[in-house]
Amino acid sequence: MLNLSILVVDDDPVIRRLLEQRLKKANHSVHVAEDGYVAEKLLEQNTYNVVLTDLMMPGEIGGIEVLEIAKELNHQTEVVLITAHSSIDTAVEAMKKGANDYLEKPINFDELFLRLEKIANMQSILESARDLQEAFTATENQAASTIQNLEIQTAHLQETLDTVEGLMRNEEITDDEKVLQAIDIITR
Amino acid sequence: MIKIAPAELKIIAQYIHAISGIYLDQSKSYLFETRLSSIAEANGCKSYQELCVKSKRDATKKLERQIVDAISTNETLFFRDKGPFELLQHKILPEVIDARSAKSSLRVPIKIWSAASSTGQELYSIAIVAKELLKNASNYSLTLLGTDISDSAVTQASYGKYNKFEIERGLDRKFLQKYFSLVGDSWKIKDEIRAMVRFKKLNLMLPFSALGKFDIIFCRNVAIYFTLEDRKKLFNKLADSLADDGYLVIGSTESLTGVCPRFVPKRHLRSIFYQKK
Repeated sequence: MLNLSILVVDDDPVIRRLLEQRLKKANHSVHVAEDGYVAEKLLEQNTYNVVLTDLMMPGEIGGIEVLEIAKELNHQTEVVLITAHSSIDTAVEAMKKGANDYLEKPINFDELFLRLEKIANMQSILESARDLQEAFTATENQAASTIQNLEIQTAHLQETLDTVEGLMRNEEITDDEKVLQAIDIITR
Repeated sequence: MIKIAPAELKIIAQYIHAISGIYLDQSKSYLFETRLSSIAEANGCKSYQELCVKSKRDATKKLERQIVDAISTNETLFFRDKGPFELLQHKILPEVIDARSAKSSLRVPIKIWSAASSTGQELYSIAIVAKELLKNASNYSLTLLGTDISDSAVTQASYGKYNKFEIERGLDRKFLQKYFSLVGDSWKIKDEIRAMVRFKKLNLMLPFSALGKFDIIFCRNVAIYFTLEDRKKLFNKLADSLADDGYLVIGSTESLTGVCPRFVPKRHLRSIFYQKK
């Protein structure tokens, strides 16, 4: 599985510590924030693949606000909310605002790792799509430049050909003159 | 997924060509399978031939629409290869404005057509360029028309809402913030741009002279799906629909050599455009 850079936001020090340990053990790179304010600062300074945030936190920046800030700063960042069963309606609302998923407390780590694996897979597919797109664009640009040059050259040659044809049909000048003028037109 | 039988390939390829003009080489059996299998299954068909028969008999044409939606390629992005839009901004639009202003002292009429508009990104990109360039919009009577063969593409284009994957491709952040609003996890084009454009369904294989004459036509990366004969007919009709001093822009890897002698290519910086002889 791809290693993800993850920001954990939770005001409960026990959960924060537990998540940090388990995620680091699974080879993810982890930053932690004890509230929305610290999270906001970290989000401004770093790019994360995933933000794992508690929905209910003290202060004016709760889980929903963390989601909004994360998406505003980088819409490729995926946000997973951690919620008590009683706040599932809010979590569903958050998904409408762009959250990737939510997890109910107490956290089931198997479930968490399954979600993260899905996110990692999706991000790796997106990365290959971007690589393919880049390769395609490079090829397309190269082809476009060749084709466009040919297109202009062909039009130019056609014009020359039409002029020479007109010249050849001209009965007012001698054959020798036609040949001289034709060479002049072709080598112009 | 329903497997396609070799004997069915020709029948299906012909049917798709007849309803859409799209020519699929019979080596592309995987394309028929990946794009049509779920439609066949949902309609209780056991084979693709049965799907064709059912679709031909369906007087409501609902099945035909579903097949066209599935088979047409909607690969598009905002400002796809920057060249044509720079061309529009720095060369084509200023020249059209000069030519039309000289003829009329009233609101200057300018008609632009995106002939295979897919999900709308090309026409909205054109609208954004026009909006940025024409500061005094009230001096101009702009007609921006987008047409596509796919109903679902036309519907999405008219709605003007794009998901994060569609939006992150090609669109500058400054345009995103200026001309789109975040709605949930998607971005919706603002009404000031939305109101400038109109989308409708059109099969380019059928006559379209009723649309009138255009000053600028974008017909990019759609003729590549047609046979040479169909391409010749299409560009001939486009020449009829283009004003005498109008501009045609085709896909960056497309060529009109041997397709339509009525057009001559002209170069401007890194791009080319076509005008009538």
